Amino acid sequence: MKFIGYPRPDGKVGTRNHVGVMATVGCVNEVVLAICHQIKGAVPITHQQGCLTVTSDLAQVQQTLINMGKNPNLAAVLLVSLGCESVFPNEIRDEIAKSRKPVELINMHQLGGSIKTITTGCEIAEQMVLDASEIHRQEFDASELIVGCKCGSSDATSGLSSNLAVGEVADILVQEGATFLFGEVCDIMGSEQILAQRAASKEVGQKVIDAVNRLIDMAESAGADVVGCQLTEGNKKGGITTVAEKAIGATTKAGSTAPQGFVNYGEIPSGKGLWIIPTPGRGFENLTGLAAAGAVVHLFTTGLGAPEGHPIMPVIKLTGNINTWNKLNTHMDVNVSSIIDGVETIEEAGRRLFEELLKVASGKLTKAEVLRYDESMNILTYGPVI
Amino acid sequence: MSKAVLVNEKDNVVTAVSDLKKGEDAVYKVGSATGQIKANEDIPYGHKVALTKIAKGSDIIKYGEAIGRARSNIDPGQWVHTHNTDETYAPSR
Repeated sequence: MKFIGYPRPDGKVGTRNHVGVMATVGCVNEVVLAICHQIKGAVPITHQQGCLTVTSDLAQVQQTLINMGKNPNLAAVLLVSLGCESVFPNEIRDEIAKSRKPVELINMHQLGGSIKTITTGCEIAEQMVLDASEIHRQEFDASELIVGCKCGSSDATSGLSSNLAVGEVADILVQEGATFLFGEVCDIMGSEQILAQRAASKEVGQKVIDAVNRLIDMAESAGADVVGCQLTEGNKKGGITTVAEKAIGATTKAGSTAPQGFVNYGEIPSGKGLWIIPTPGRGFENLTGLAAAGAVVHLFTTGLGAPEGHPIMPVIKLTGNINTWNKLNTHMDVNVSSIIDGVETIEEAGRRLFEELLKVASGKLTKAEVLRYDESMNILTYGPVI
Repeated sequence: MSKAVLVNEKDNVVTAVSDLKKGEDAVYKVGSATGQIKANEDIPYGHKVALTKIAKGSDIIKYGEAIGRARSNIDPGQWVHTHNTDETYAPSR
């Protein structure tokens, strides 16, 4: 199986050719947005982090920014710094530069305010876009793909159709030698023992269990029973009977292969196959974690219609709910209600979704991209804001 | 049009994808063939129907995995939900 993607100097392959304009701290989001409004081909990487959180969170934010910068969907990166943030912009620049793509850093305190920083940033981004436009798509094997997944705004159809179709694609990708990323600790909770038993090593399995226990412990320290409230009244009304049923239904997105490895949020997997990454369920932080892990396309299942995309990663929306497909058609890319109607098997729907994924990897736009419903994002932190 | 979905051939329940009335036959796909189960009570959309006799204490199987345990004996065609199913999940802390 082949797709056409953008070659990068570090040997990785992108599905998009964006210039990333990245805020090192949330205080310069306005500057980043202004540059991207002016320069075609520049995408904004904004967030609310970079300052006044605990040291471990600052390290996670910095690592996430570095690895998002290295994502092969970005041809070049322009970093915008305020000048007094707690992350280290020079380190971020130097680390991204190791992927041998063009990286520049501008500093708003040094340049003298937003107007001058926007002007300077636009000049740099303009040249970066011109240079990137000379990079052309080439044919690559599907094994070069790194694909993420999540579910959002789920309903009774998710565990009966869209999640199963994604699981089929996960298995196809693993068989093709590609990398598939599965996370969402809140969704794993209830199926972690099954996933751990299936893992390629005991160590990987234990990390999956530890990630779930960590979430339970953190929620407890905030006074919440995250297991007890996992099965909502809405879930029960919709027909879900146990936490295990809900979790296994969500975990079907991972397919049936053995998890090969586990990476922390902000890190890049070192191998191929199915990898587990402890992302949260919330889309802003979830999608960013997968983009930092190197995902170049994302499969997002939804029942009621979650609209969000991501600035650097095409996000394919699929639903098994025919009403959502009809009513929110301007947001939905793939309809798999055929599984529920019994007119298409899970395997057939999965194969159709895989073909759509190759098209998107080769340049077909997703609806979230066309609608520009892809600018909101954030980076996961665990500790207090200070 | 199917009225229920069998996710995995190991499963002992199917999920209704229309509101089933007592006595109504629900057709579901098994690969390229079809199966059929008569609902012996009203079962709403999204809820599970037993395909086989499930003895008290036995696993309720969906997705090819145990999703819970029968709290009482369950007959084919019976509604399977929180009133007759126990949670089997507990965190391994």
